Amino acid sequence: MKLELHKAPVRSLRFGPQTTLENDVLVINQQELQALLLEDPRLAAVTVDLAHPGESIRIMPVKDAVEPRCKLSGGNEVFPGFIGGVETVGQGATFVLEGATVLTTGRLVAPQEGIVDMSGPGAAYTPFSSTCNIVLGLTPREDVTLHEAEATCRMVGLKAAHYLACRCKAAKAARVEHYAFPPLAEAMAAHPGLPKVAYIYMLQSQGLLHDTWVYGVDAKKTLPTLISPTEIMDGAVISGNCVSACDKNNTYVHQNNPIIKALYARHGKEINFVGVILTNENVTLADKQRSSSYAVKLASMLGVTAAVISEEGFGNPDADLVLNCVKAESAGIKTVLVTDEYAGANGASQSLADSCPEGTAVVTAGNANATIVLPPMAKVLGDPAQADVIAGGFFGSLRADGSMEVELQAILGATNELGFNKIGAYTI
Amino acid sequence: MPVVHMASIVPISQSVGANRIIPTVAIPYPLGNPTLSPAEEKKLRRGLVEKALKALGADVTEQTVF
Repeated sequence: MKLELHKAPVRSLRFGPQTTLENDVLVINQQELQALLLEDPRLAAVTVDLAHPGESIRIMPVKDAVEPRCKLSGGNEVFPGFIGGVETVGQGATFVLEGATVLTTGRLVAPQEGIVDMSGPGAAYTPFSSTCNIVLGLTPREDVTLHEAEATCRMVGLKAAHYLACRCKAAKAARVEHYAFPPLAEAMAAHPGLPKVAYIYMLQSQGLLHDTWVYGVDAKKTLPTLISPTEIMDGAVISGNCVSACDKNNTYVHQNNPIIKALYARHGKEINFVGVILTNENVTLADKQRSSSYAVKLASMLGVTAAVISEEGFGNPDADLVLNCVKAESAGIKTVLVTDEYAGANGASQSLADSCPEGTAVVTAGNANATIVLPPMAKVLGDPAQADVIAGGFFGSLRADGSMEVELQAILGATNELGFNKIGAYTI
Repeated sequence: MPVVHMASIVPISQSVGANRIIPTVAIPYPLGNPTLSPAEEKKLRRGLVEKALKALGADVTEQTVF
């Protein structure tokens, strides 16, 4: 499979009479976008606001982030099972509005959504303070159930992202990235002497609004499976996740998975990157045992000597991470785990809910329990009253002057377990 | 003092050092099951609690899953 990503940079946003890309400025016809989204009968109201890096704007509660993409060629549209049909994606050419992000917000399923500050100390902790954001304020109709409201908001974010890319796809891309994923027979024979490496990509699938979708299929109902990294870039994996904001993989992060990028960058030089294995994080022990065995079995069938394993979320999924690690190491596959920590405000408590001596190489994305004071912003998009109920907030989080004290947990992407973070640390 | 740990993920009960472990249903509903009728669910719950009480009185010499 071969995929080209045609990336057109977006450096600014403004409203205008026609949605188009002009000299790196994404001009948006606000009424047209609103009318398109309001075609969904489950929505009562939609607002569209714009937020740029450095502005005194707080956006909360943010549900999902989506990068505007659409197909130029290659058959099925992006976001298969939602925007595109269910046929295979990941081939041909895809247009990308790089630097723009659609953020869905509003009073949704408030306790587990996140905060994006466009400036101030909080901005350093979220990757979405450095993108130009199209902020959708969504109000589902009152008679729409909670699960339907989530599905509505999920779909609306994808629809807006696809609309923006489609309207601009005639623009010339500033650069084209090429990705290839060869047939397994070729991949196995390629780069003799380099270690074969797979990526075991854990998806949140606990249910109760902690869900991920693969080609439109609920990930909790799947067995682990092989997927081409190019399919991921075309939106084969969609977030339906209302879980702690710091370490949920929103759709943007799936589209731009940094672990896949890093494996590609080393492919043919240090390693032979031979496959991506999607697996889930379900809520019963039998499911966890089945999925971990199946994912490791697929890695063994690929004959890899090592695997990178990334977690999504914390607590319950720590058990899946540890099972994946123990089973892979027992099968002779070396592992590197990517996770984050809930080690208490001072960092002194146990970091994960489970542990194993086989986990000897672990990358942490930070301690989600660390607290931060976010100063007031001139403008709040969304609903600031949600600060008290947002995961990582606590009673009294929102102060009279508009400042907030929260755990990093409340900030979108602050401890992202794919490494999609802005702050890092090196041991010296 | 004897303690019974009732939880759905047995490896975690083992790694935290519980000596009497009762495996339960699932993380969001350890002692219930929303797919059952209320009467069936009560039977399930009572069964688990009775099992736990029996485990409390059992002699164990090592970590034991009941």
